[in-house]
Amino acid sequence: MEDMYHMDRAMMTQQDTKISAKGVQVYYGDTHAIKDVDVEIADKTVTAFIGPSGCGKSTFLRCINRMNDTIDVARVSGDIRIDGEDIYDPRVDPVQLRAKVGMVFQKPNPFPKSIYDNVAYGPKIHGLARNKADLDEIVEKALRRGAIWDEVKDRLDAPGTGLSGGQQQRLCIARAVATEPEVLLMDEPCSALDPIATAQVEELIDDLRQRYSVVIVTHSMQQAARVSQKTAFFHLGNLVEFGDTDKIFTNPEDPRTESYISGRIG
Amino acid sequence: MTDFPNTGQPRQSLLNLDDRTKKRNAAEARFKAYGIAAIVTAMLALAILLSSVVANGSSAFRQTFITIDVPLDADKLDKSGVRDLDVMKKVTTIGYAKLLREGLLNAITDAGIDTSLSDKEIATLISKEAPATVRNSVLANPSLVGETLTFDLLASGRIDGYYKGRVTLESAALDGNTSPEALMLADALKAEGLITTRFNWNFLTAPDASDQRPEAAGLGVAILGSLYMMLVVLFLALPIGVAASIYLEEFAPKNRWTDVIEVNISNLAAVPSIVYGILGLAIFINFMHFNQSSPLVGGLVLTLMTLPTIIISTRAALKSVPPSIRDAALGVGASKMQSVFHHVLPLAAPGILTGTIIGLAQALGETAPLLLIGMVAFVREYPAAYTENAGLFGEAATALPVQVYNWTQRADPGFVERASGAIITLLVFLLIMNAVAIFLRRKFERRW
Ligand SMILES: Nc1ncnc2c1ncn2[C@@H]1O[C@H](COP(=O)(O)OP(=O)(O)O)[C@@H](O)[C@H]1O
Ligand SMILES: [Mg+2]
Repeated sequence: MEDMYHMDRAMMTQQDTKISAKGVQVYYGDTHAIKDVDVEIADKTVTAFIGPSGCGKSTFLRCINRMNDTIDVARVSGDIRIDGEDIYDPRVDPVQLRAKVGMVFQKPNPFPKSIYDNVAYGPKIHGLARNKADLDEIVEKALRRGAIWDEVKDRLDAPGTGLSGGQQQRLCIARAVATEPEVLLMDEPCSALDPIATAQVEELIDDLRQRYSVVIVTHSMQQAARVSQKTAFFHLGNLVEFGDTDKIFTNPEDPRTESYISGRIG
Repeated sequence: MTDFPNTGQPRQSLLNLDDRTKKRNAAEARFKAYGIAAIVTAMLALAILLSSVVANGSSAFRQTFITIDVPLDADKLDKSGVRDLDVMKKVTTIGYAKLLREGLLNAITDAGIDTSLSDKEIATLISKEAPATVRNSVLANPSLVGETLTFDLLASGRIDGYYKGRVTLESAALDGNTSPEALMLADALKAEGLITTRFNWNFLTAPDASDQRPEAAGLGVAILGSLYMMLVVLFLALPIGVAASIYLEEFAPKNRWTDVIEVNISNLAAVPSIVYGILGLAIFINFMHFNQSSPLVGGLVLTLMTLPTIIISTRAALKSVPPSIRDAALGVGASKMQSVFHHVLPLAAPGILTGTIIGLAQALGETAPLLLIGMVAFVREYPAAYTENAGLFGEAATALPVQVYNWTQRADPGFVERASGAIITLLVFLLIMNAVAIFLRRKFERRW
């Protein structure tokens, strides 16, 4: 008994599961967008979702912070747990969940307010700062984690919308980490960025892995290969293959994964 | 032989237009010409309208006054001798009219002007309103009695019309209310500097006057009434309309019921305004027994009328806020309400303000429903904003557009000028409101 308990613990720390999904189905009205998806997403890891467009990557991502709740026609069923807690339990408030599961969107969407206010907004509404000095500290820490502090520290009062695309996206990442989340969801965060900005954001994602469980949707397989340790391949609403990124890209099991990776379906 | 593959057609030079291009260019030129013609026609119509209103109405802002010394004889104005107000009030305007005539006759004699007119005819130079003005200032300050004071008295409508070109010596010969001699006497007084024509604040501040006294009629009560109504509309329609729009746009489920509501709001915006008047008459006056002719009822009716406009423009403003802003707010864990009030509403505010001001402007110019609820009454007293008996905005008043309607119904030609002047005033208010709307939009518009 004792031994088995210890073994369990050892396995847990090795492969700490942060998010576990079982039998997830999503319908948009009559459209069956996600079909029976099971996946275990590890902590302190970057997991990439790849697949042809319209296959349901974003839909599945939005299940994890219940952003699908805001879409009238969307219905989600199945079991999604974070740290073993069912996030679709009636007792869970999606608002509280979203502070814990931050999200970065495809198009950089800073609030039309100052850089400071962009980052400070989340901590303010969640009461994370007791006073102004506290808040200043949180904002600085978040901007540093977003790897944008050095570029904006002299103009925190300038509008966030006045930054370049890449800076805006890093500001959005800083805004997402300011509420001290445990999971970071990113939906094609680089698709609106130029190659240099993309490289900066990718580097940042690699850093973020040390603190968060990062899930990134990308249509670029090179990007998935560069930043992720695990990769999930979606096709027509099914999770076709999930495993180590190296394995998926060098030795895929499913023929559909192989044809996608070699560019035959897209 | 050419290097081109031979297609059987000669190569078309770019320097020559082909037939299709010519036709297309001609069609484009024609379309432009139609557009310009339409705009020119519209501008012309507007220019004619405005210039006729301004030509007719600008004189309403100027008024002719007769400046004379009036002997306020103590034995005529105060029989008690101790300035007892109750006794003094027994002297009617007729008593004062006699004093004014005396003053005018003295002035004519002093100036050495000869006239063939009788004393009574001379007195017609002075407006019938003037004795009341003097009486009021004496009753307000009884210590004036016994002195001889200089007053600026309104000249009668005919004399005023003479200096504005409305009355001529020829027309005066056919007019029972004046005569060429009277006009000539006025000219002589003018030469002495006793008759002057100058800017007339009273037109904006004085209450309406009866049919025989166009020279005394003013917009004071109408402006006050319109102002009260706008306050009622602003404080009711803005919060109700914005709250309804936010609920419908951001919170309400999209189902059959909200569809029905949406269609009906659009329909309400198209309901003829007189229908709202009937509704107001039935509900606010006959059923709830609010005072007839009161700005409160007028404001309530106009609120009903303005609500759809405000709701429609507010919803459009909310719709135009990019969804990515809502996502961003929800993404950091803001509640639905926080996302709306912290992010969406501030971005929609310029649009909401513009819609509200345009709705208010529409309400300001609305006439038909106000006629139905009795705001066309002849009101000489300034309505108080609040009284014990009538409540808030409960005293009888009129409104600007109704005053225009009212004055165009009067027989005396002096009222034509008044009506046009009222239209100018109304247009100025509307212009100011639209300018404010544009200014606010420019100032608060944010880019994202
Ligand atoms: N809000 C929505 N309403 C209805 N259908 C949607 C909505 N969002 C996505 N879908 C449908 O769900 C499917 C998956 O979409 P999505 O998750 O956006 O794909 P991906 O992100 O992989 O490109 C698509 O067929 C899409 O048409
Ligand atoms: Mg997507």
